[in-house]
Amino acid sequence: MMNKGKALSLMLAATLSVSALTACGGNNNNNGAASPAASGSSAAASGSADAGAKDTITALLPPVSPTYQDNFDQMEKDFNAQYPNLTLKIEPASWEDMTQKLDTQVNAGSPPDIAFIGSDGIAKYVQQGMALDLTDVATSEMTGDYDATPLEYMKNGSGLYGFPAYMEVHALGGNKQFLEEAGIDWKKVQKDGWTYEEFREAIKKGVVKNGDATSRYGFVFATAGVASKDYLGIMAKSAGMPAAFNEDMKYAYTSKNYLELLTDLRQLIDDGSMPKELSSVDAGKRWNMFLTGQTMITGKGLATFENSAKKNNEKIDAKDGSAVKDSIKVDYIVLPVPTFAGALPISYTVVDGYVAFRGKKEPTAEHKANIAKAAYFLSSGKVAATTNNDLFAAHITKSARDAAASMPMERDPNNQAAVQTMLSHAAPARPDIPAELGAKAIKIENEVIIPKMQALLANEIKPQEMYDAVKKAAIAAFGEDGIVQD
Amino acid sequence: MAQPAQSAKKRKIKGDGVWGYAFIAVALIVYAMFTAYPVLSAFIISFQEYKPLGSTYIGFDNYTATLKDDLFWKSIKNTLVYTVLTVPVALLLSFLVAIMILPLRKKLQAVFKAVYYLPVVASGVALSLVWLWIFDPMPGGIFNQFIGWFGAHNQNWLGASATAMFSLVIMAWLSSHGASIIIYLAALLGIDDSYYEAADLDGASFLQKLWHIVIPSLKPTTLFLLVTAVIGSFQVFQNAYLMTGGGPDHATTMVGLLIFDNAFKYFEFGKAAAQSLILALIIALVSLFQFKFLGKDVDY
Repeated sequence: MMNKGKALSLMLAATLSVSALTACGGNNNNNGAASPAASGSSAAASGSADAGAKDTITALLPPVSPTYQDNFDQMEKDFNAQYPNLTLKIEPASWEDMTQKLDTQVNAGSPPDIAFIGSDGIAKYVQQGMALDLTDVATSEMTGDYDATPLEYMKNGSGLYGFPAYMEVHALGGNKQFLEEAGIDWKKVQKDGWTYEEFREAIKKGVVKNGDATSRYGFVFATAGVASKDYLGIMAKSAGMPAAFNEDMKYAYTSKNYLELLTDLRQLIDDGSMPKELSSVDAGKRWNMFLTGQTMITGKGLATFENSAKKNNEKIDAKDGSAVKDSIKVDYIVLPVPTFAGALPISYTVVDGYVAFRGKKEPTAEHKANIAKAAYFLSSGKVAATTNNDLFAAHITKSARDAAASMPMERDPNNQAAVQTMLSHAAPARPDIPAELGAKAIKIENEVIIPKMQALLANEIKPQEMYDAVKKAAIAAFGEDGIVQD
Repeated sequence: MAQPAQSAKKRKIKGDGVWGYAFIAVALIVYAMFTAYPVLSAFIISFQEYKPLGSTYIGFDNYTATLKDDLFWKSIKNTLVYTVLTVPVALLLSFLVAIMILPLRKKLQAVFKAVYYLPVVASGVALSLVWLWIFDPMPGGIFNQFIGWFGAHNQNWLGASATAMFSLVIMAWLSSHGASIIIYLAALLGIDDSYYEAADLDGASFLQKLWHIVIPSLKPTTLFLLVTAVIGSFQVFQNAYLMTGGGPDHATTMVGLLIFDNAFKYFEFGKAAAQSLILALIIALVSLFQFKFLGKDVDY
C-alpha cells in the first residue's frame, strides 16, 4: 500500500517533469521528413520523394489585417483543395510576439517553413544561413504574377527568399477639416508634394493654443516603442538618403544631409508645432491624439488608417460606446512626407511578405517546391485580394487584382491617387547590400541612432552631437573609407 | 535468529533508499536539464560565434569585446544605481508594512497579505500598461496631474534622461513587495513573546522594543531578503524592456536588457552568453561581500 503511494507520487513528479520537457521540445520544422504526416515516407528525407508525396508546410502568421486570422481555417482548406497531397498548417502569432517567436525558433534551428515578416528582416536570416532561397523552385508562372518592384524587395544578393504580400507607403495622415481651416491646399500637396519649409509653415498654422497650453498640435509622429525607428527612417528617404548605403556601398547617414535633417526635425519641436514630449508618444497615443482632435497631421500614416477613421466616424454617428473616447469625426487625408535639404521625394515603401526558412537539416527539393507553392498561394489570388482589400493596400499581383475586381472597396479616390503618386517614386529595393553590412547598419541604428534620437527629441543633446555619435559609430564599423563624407 | 532480522532490516533500508534515489532523480534530472545544461551550454557558447547551422570557436573574443564595450559598463552602472536606489527602500517598506499588519486579527492579516501579494501574481505586462498610463507625458497623465496641483509643469517621465531611471525606481518602490512582506511576517511571528513581556516589565517603549528585539531578531531574514533582492535587482529586465526600452540614450539600459538585445536583436548569442557569465560572477562577488560583512553576527 505504502509502495503504491510512493509509486504514484513518483509518477506524478515524473509526469510533471516530462510535460515540462514536452512543452519545450516542440519542433515544427519538418524539412520534408520530420513526421510521417509531413513527408509521407522517409524517402522525402533523402530527397527522392515522388512529386505527389504527402507533405506539410508550416506557417507562422500574425494578424496581417483585421480579419486575416479569422480566415485561417478556410485558407488551409483552400490550399488542400488546390494541392490534395499537401497540408498547410498555420500557427497564429500576435504582432507583439511575432519577431521574438520566430527568432527563438530560428536560433533553435527549427523555424516554420514560412513566416510573415518585413522584407527588411530578410538580411539577418540570410546572414545566419536560415533563410531559404526559392530561386530554383519558384516557377515563372509564380514570379511573373508579381509586380517587379515588390518582388525585388524579397531578394538578397541573387537569392529570392519569399514572395511579397503587399507594398505599402509610409506617409502622413491629415484631418481634412483642420487642414482646410489652416488654409492648406491638401489636394495640391497630394499631387505635388511639399518641401520642409512649406511643411514647417503649414503645421505652424495647425497649432491651437489656450493660454499657455496647446490644445492642438500641427504634427505628431509616433517615436516611442515599436515606432522608435520610423520617424527618422521615413524622413531620411526624402532627404537624399534612400537607403543606409549609397550605390558605392558607403554608409549614407554620415552625409551632411543627415545633420540638416536632424536640425530640421528638432526645429519642429522648438517651433511648438510638435509636443516637447514627443519622445514618449507611441503609436497608440498619437492615433488617439489624431482622433480626438489634438493634432492636425499624424505619422506614420498607413492606408488602413483611412478605414479605421471611417469606422470610428460610423461609431460616433451611431452613438456606439466603443468609439474612441472624446473622439471627433475625422476625414482622413493621405499626405506625402516633405522633402529635406532640396532632395527629391522618395517614398518609404514597406514590402512585407511570406519568407521561407530552412531548419538544421537541408530541406528536400520536393519540400522546397512545396514551400514555394504555399508562399505563392498565400501572397496571390483570393487570399491576397481579401487581405489587401481589408488593409486598403494596393494589389501587387495580377491574380489578386483579378480576384479583387468583384470585391467592393470604399476608398477615397483622392487618397488612392495620392498613394499611387507616392508609389511612383518608391525607394528602390537594395538586394545588393551584403547581409553583413546590413547587420552592422541595424546595430548602429539600434545602439546609436534610436537612443540618440530619443535624447535629441527630449532636447538633451544637439543635432550636431547626435550626428557626431553616428559618424563615430559608422567609422568604427565601416572605416573612414566606408562612409559618405561630403 | 539475529542474522535473518538484520538482513531484513538491511533489505528495508535498501528498499527505502531506492525510493529516495528515485525521488531525488526526478528533481536532479529537471535541474540538470533546465539549469545545469543551459549554464554549461552558455559557458560553451560564450567561446563561440554562434550560428544555428554550425558555430565556430573564437576563444576569449566575446569576453574581451564585452570588457571593451562602453555600453556594457554603462549598463552595469545603471544596474548598480537601480539596485542601490530600490533594494534598501523596498526592504524598509516591506518591513514597515509587515510591522503594521502584525497586530491585526488573523483574518485581516490574511486579507492584507493577499492584497500585497497580488501584484506578484499579476502579469508584468498588464502592470506595465497601468504604469505607462500613470507616466503619460501629456498634461492628462496621472503623475503630471498630481505635480500640476503643486504648480509644476508636466514631465516627460520616461522620455527624459533626468526622470526615466527615477520613474523605474518609483515603480519598484510601489510594487511587488508581497513576498518580502510575507517572509517578514513569518519571521515576526517567530519571535518569542517572552522577549516582549520582559521588555514590557522593563517599561520599554515601542521604538525600544523595535530596536532592541525586533531588528536583531530579524537580522537573518533581512540578510536573506537583501541578498535575494540584490540578485533579483541585478537581473532586472522586464521594467526597462516594457517601459523605456533602455532609453533615452541608454539612460535605463540595464545589463539584463543588454544581454537580451545582443541575443535576440543582433543574434550575438556568444557575446550575450559571455555577458551573462560576467554578470553571474559580479552577482556572486556581491553576494559573497554581503555574507562576509553583513552576515558576521547572524545566527541561523
